[in-house]
Amino acid sequence: MAELETPSPPSPHAPAVAWTPTQTRAQFAAIAWLRWRITVNSLSRRGGAGELAGRAVTTLIFLAILILWLGGAGVGGFLFASHAHIYRIAWLLWGIFLLCQILNIQFGQRATNFDPTQLIRFPMRAGTYVEIRLFFGMLTAANVTGTLMAAAVAGGITIAAPALGLYAFLAMAAFAAANALFSRMIFAWVDRWLSTRRAREAVTALLLAFSLVAQWANFTFNPAYNNHHHGTHAYQLSQQHQAWVSHLIQSSGPVLAMLPPHLAAASLTAAEHGDPLRFLADSLAVAAYAALFLLVFALRMLKEFRGETLSEAADGVRKPKTNSAKLRPASTAVFTQSALWPAEPAARASAPVKPAACQSRLLELVVTVLSKEILYARRNMGILYGLLMPIFLVLIFASRFASLGNSALWTFPAAVGYSLLVICPLTYNIFGLDGPGVQIFFFAPVRLRDVVLAKNMLGVVLAVFEIVLIFLLIAEMAGVPSPKITLATLFWAAGTLALNLIFGNRRSIASPKRIDPQRVARKQTSPLSALISLAFLILCAGLAVLLYGLCFSLHALWALPLAMALFAGISVAAYAQSLRSMDEYALQHREDLMREICKLG
Amino acid sequence: MPPAIATHALTRSFDGFTAVDHIDLAVEAGQFFGFLGPNGAGKSTTIKMLTGLLAPSSGAVQILGQDLFYNPIEVKRHIGVVPEGMALFTRLTALEYLRFVGRMYGLDKATTEQRAEELLEFMGLSDQSRKLIADYSHGMSKKLALAAAVIHGPKVLFLDEPFEGVDAIAAGTLKAMLQGMIARGATIFLTSHVLEIVERLCSHVAIINHGQIVAHGSLEELRAGVQARLPLHGAADPENSAEANLTLEQIFLNVVGGASAARPEQELTWLS
Repeated sequence: MAELETPSPPSPHAPAVAWTPTQTRAQFAAIAWLRWRITVNSLSRRGGAGELAGRAVTTLIFLAILILWLGGAGVGGFLFASHAHIYRIAWLLWGIFLLCQILNIQFGQRATNFDPTQLIRFPMRAGTYVEIRLFFGMLTAANVTGTLMAAAVAGGITIAAPALGLYAFLAMAAFAAANALFSRMIFAWVDRWLSTRRAREAVTALLLAFSLVAQWANFTFNPAYNNHHHGTHAYQLSQQHQAWVSHLIQSSGPVLAMLPPHLAAASLTAAEHGDPLRFLADSLAVAAYAALFLLVFALRMLKEFRGETLSEAADGVRKPKTNSAKLRPASTAVFTQSALWPAEPAARASAPVKPAACQSRLLELVVTVLSKEILYARRNMGILYGLLMPIFLVLIFASRFASLGNSALWTFPAAVGYSLLVICPLTYNIFGLDGPGVQIFFFAPVRLRDVVLAKNMLGVVLAVFEIVLIFLLIAEMAGVPSPKITLATLFWAAGTLALNLIFGNRRSIASPKRIDPQRVARKQTSPLSALISLAFLILCAGLAVLLYGLCFSLHALWALPLAMALFAGISVAAYAQSLRSMDEYALQHREDLMREICKLG
Repeated sequence: MPPAIATHALTRSFDGFTAVDHIDLAVEAGQFFGFLGPNGAGKSTTIKMLTGLLAPSSGAVQILGQDLFYNPIEVKRHIGVVPEGMALFTRLTALEYLRFVGRMYGLDKATTEQRAEELLEFMGLSDQSRKLIADYSHGMSKKLALAAAVIHGPKVLFLDEPFEGVDAIAAGTLKAMLQGMIARGATIFLTSHVLEIVERLCSHVAIINHGQIVAHGSLEELRAGVQARLPLHGAADPENSAEANLTLEQIFLNVVGGASAARPEQELTWLS
């Protein structure tokens, strides 16, 4: 074989060739290409077209919401500027700041679809590493949204007062930079603080608890939910709450005035009053905040660049927890006689199989798998949140509706429908959290039908738990719903859940989505599956309304539970039938399942 | 007595690429069987088909005389598997995971509990019982995966790279356990890239290359086969009679053509 025509190796003593800016630019281009390819490749896998369609729909929805936000920011800027209340733009900017942080938490750092800390193994300068981390981190949906909203505010001000246009865009540019750099800084340090699983879970628990309390407070105190009940206790509480918040804002005024949103608004006020020096000073103060955030971010990145290891394994090495009294070298351990383990399963296998034994084995298996599912849920704050938050929200909604007093007919069905809206998507990705462990369902002596049944039980248990709670709550607050409506709703829920399980099980196997249990799992399924689930629910709700309308117009409401019972019966029978073919279906699609669920990273 | 593992014309294609091409294998009961091949030769695909993780495009698999595809449940009762990726549930503790696996294999609670504790002790993991598997090192995970694979006392054990990432002490423990199983009549089907381990443990070996079995037999039979293919310089030079003790690495390189390949360091002249 001919030798490669390449230059001779340089002598170890030859002077090193300097790293050139062209090489640095090539690194930027390579990383941009890498991210692009990772995105494209994730869509080109089997089922990618459907996922792309689902993602396109959710992106369109997000874009529509974004346009509303941008419109709101622009109109806000316009109104404050045109009514000479430009200082109030501070509240608009605080809103943008909070929204940006919430979106950052909600979406996570989705743009980082590879581990950027791996870049330190390549020859690059520390400054380049910081730039790369900064540049690619800035391109998150949250930061782009925040920046566009700041631009919209500047646009609104410019339309209202063209003379302020240049000032507005300069001030908003400084604010947008400070806003985006703040989130980069925070996320960089949060990664450091949350480098261990326990720390992550503790902080997640706190955040989720805060989120639940915030939801409760919103529904309890927000006048928007208490408009018609001025005499109620909740309304009085709401008034007290508003007064307390006003007092808090007033007393914290001096502190807030020193922070970027207020400083940016102050700079615009100065520009409006024809004081360019004050405008410059305030804008420079905002820019100084941006520089400070950048500095703190860069310090963290430089530590990363020097190879600081943040991982569970490294943590374990640093703080070995050993119990010397208990420790016993593995080599000294011995198997007792039971290690011979006469092939008990084989003995069982040769024995004739009795129907009762089959039922007992099925029950045993269902309990085993269900126990594992419950352990997983109990142990992961993200999953627990995903399961409990809907219950919490439904209960809050139900209590609100029930307290209106005049909605006994619809409150129970509406609350049950809402709970299914949240539970049904979970059934479209029942293997998502299993990771490589999913393989055991294929090499253990079990029927996939039984495993799927056990996993479905989690959804059923959740639904039953939630519906019982809703019923009790509504019965307490608005009186017991009529038996006809209650029965009809229960049958409808059973039928709807069974129908969703039929399709959810198949989507779980043929189009699964791997969920990383380390992250707060808000998205429990793929976008397409979530849309399918929503479509089914809408169809079932439409059927329910149709049947109700028919019975009502015929003055035969007594027939509604019977009609719903028929629907439930047909759905449950179809579900049972679908389970019979589950083994074959799972075997046909096991590769799709394992390719996605067992994939690394 | 039927072979412990038998395949007939086992084939698997992926979009026109044939990863495993009509392989016929017969592994007798009680054998410690090494399944070797270069990267991408079809080892993992084969082991996945033998354990029910992957459907073959055609062909048949029999385990202990029973067809894997017609009697999957019965076959799976008798096999243990450490697959690629180890099949662990990382959000469970080791004890919880072993309890789960034991129950999945149909063991009763008491037996599962007893064996799980015994296995954790044996593997040196009993002091880590409260730790989640997510926090385990690679070697610890490997030991746990092996513990899970044997908890039901399988008659046939499939191991995909069982010693990868396992320290020397633990590897010694595992080897002793596996040899003990062989002594008690189990059959072990093992893939590994560490040929010294395969040579030390396995009595029989098959080598797969480009999806086809290119060598199959006992180590002695393989040695004899390779010797027959070698030039006769060994016979002319009695001092080179070491050919009689060809290592598995030499056999492997000879069979898959590694010896004839260019030595890379001669080609990549720009490497310093």
